[in-house]
Amino acid sequence: MGAYISVPVWERTIAQRYGLKGQRCLGCGAVLFPPKVVCPECGGHSFEAASLSGRGRIYSFTVIAGGGAPPEFEWQANAVGSYVVGLVELEEGPRIIAQIVGVDPRAAMAAPLFEDSAFEDSGGSSGDKGKRSLIGLPVKAVIRKVYEQEGVIRYGYKFKVVSEV
Amino acid sequence: MRDVAIVAAGQSEFGEFPQKSIKEIFAEAFDDMKSSLAGALDPSVIEAAYVGTLGVGGFQLGQPGPLLAKHVGLGNIPVTRVENACASGGFALLSAVLAVGSGQYDVVLAAGVEKMRDTSAMQGRYWLGVSGDTEYERLAGLTFAGIYAVMASRYMHDYHVPKKYLSMVAVKNHSHGALNPKAHFQRKITLEQAMGAANVAYPLNLFDCSPTSDGAAAVLVTSLERAREFTPSPVKVLGFGAGTDYLAIHERRSITGLEAARIAATKAFAMAGISPSDIDVAEVHDCFTIAEIMAYEDIGFAGRGEGWKLLEAGETTLGGRMPVNPSGGLKAKGHPLGATGIAQAVEIFNQLRGKAGKRQVAGARFGLTHNVGGSGGAATVFIFGIDA
Ligand SMILES: [Zn+2]
Repeated sequence: MGAYISVPVWERTIAQRYGLKGQRCLGCGAVLFPPKVVCPECGGHSFEAASLSGRGRIYSFTVIAGGGAPPEFEWQANAVGSYVVGLVELEEGPRIIAQIVGVDPRAAMAAPLFEDSAFEDSGGSSGDKGKRSLIGLPVKAVIRKVYEQEGVIRYGYKFKVVSEV
Repeated sequence: MRDVAIVAAGQSEFGEFPQKSIKEIFAEAFDDMKSSLAGALDPSVIEAAYVGTLGVGGFQLGQPGPLLAKHVGLGNIPVTRVENACASGGFALLSAVLAVGSGQYDVVLAAGVEKMRDTSAMQGRYWLGVSGDTEYERLAGLTFAGIYAVMASRYMHDYHVPKKYLSMVAVKNHSHGALNPKAHFQRKITLEQAMGAANVAYPLNLFDCSPTSDGAAAVLVTSLERAREFTPSPVKVLGFGAGTDYLAIHERRSITGLEAARIAATKAFAMAGISPSDIDVAEVHDCFTIAEIMAYEDIGFAGRGEGWKLLEAGETTLGGRMPVNPSGGLKAKGHPLGATGIAQAVEIFNQLRGKAGKRQVAGARFGLTHNVGGSGGAATVFIFGIDA
């Protein structure tokens, strides 16, 4: 049992999953992802296709405990335990929710969520003041296996942390 | 709209009841509601009913309304299932208030029910995610707790909030739940226990999450004009509001508050003609600890980024300036999704009538309920007062 996305419905979004194809509002210029029928910025209805660079920064994140993963991610939880999911703000503007790969979940949980010497406990465990929170780190999109349903492996974007430019 | 009141309110025990189906749980709430009346209730006076339920487990997704209404002896009246995820109860109450307020009906039942415990672990994890955006949010591997966790990380980052303050919500609500004989969890926890629990979705641990519960709740809504046929002390609906937002977290500009709840609260206060500082007692939607802190701000009890500070001084603890979730909240009382919004109204009904037992807020005159669907896709806020 899992969130049911049929193969035809998944195929409909291949351009988004593989290529981050979004749209640009012809009314206000806002770049949107995934594609919409109404612009949330100006209410416009006319768009042109826009490809996203896949570069952005982590706006927020969580570490999902393997034991609580949705059923369709059971395979991943079994294989790696906890995994990181981030809300990424792309340089073109839109935010995308996706997994962050190549980050140790323990390290992600150990780093403080903010830098403030006034508090002893800032979210991470003590003695981790030198570690940097995932929030704000630069990332770029990569294609990975997302999950499998109806015998079809569903590939799509995840993000990986890159060094500061 | 004409004036509307709640004249009777009740709930089942919240918890894990493998021996009861939704019918028995619903009947328990209906009977408890009847027992809040001085006299007997003739079920034939009820002209319509709205039943909030998500249908977790899927064993009665279609027409739970007629099933439950006939089970408790209602007439062959219009009964509608109302679904808005965890705000199903709040929206069932909204439908009842509008139906009476419009003048179409004088006496309407608003109820909610959910049976969540006897599902397999896999089924449970499936159902907990059904109210998110399936195509994009859920397929990031994000759980329901995970969505609130993404809000929590950013909230703690933006406002420099130590994890301790999230855990203080859990400690407070468990201390309140210990005073509620119908609560799922009736035991106190320490701050150390709350902070040290196993990770669920960082920064949220097990004690930052409300439980899945079995339970039901019911209130009887009438015109204020006819309220005293039922009780000498009706609770008047002073104001209400409801709102909606983008379902998915990546579509929202701000993720450190819930726009749907802000809209609902603003409308409710405008209609009631009072301000947040007038509220004596509130039941807010603490599905996760961060949600209660954001609720303080969305309702207007605290400024943006300041909600967590109310916990430091114990202002929202019983005995404090404005107790929040005296029932134990979703965290300790339990969270049977469809029942929650109605159960919040049950608690405020009892508080305003001085019938809340050991958790009574002395002299409470104005009460508020705040019920959120999913991760903020929908919300209702009601403001109640004793009709003097
Ligand atoms: Zn636009």
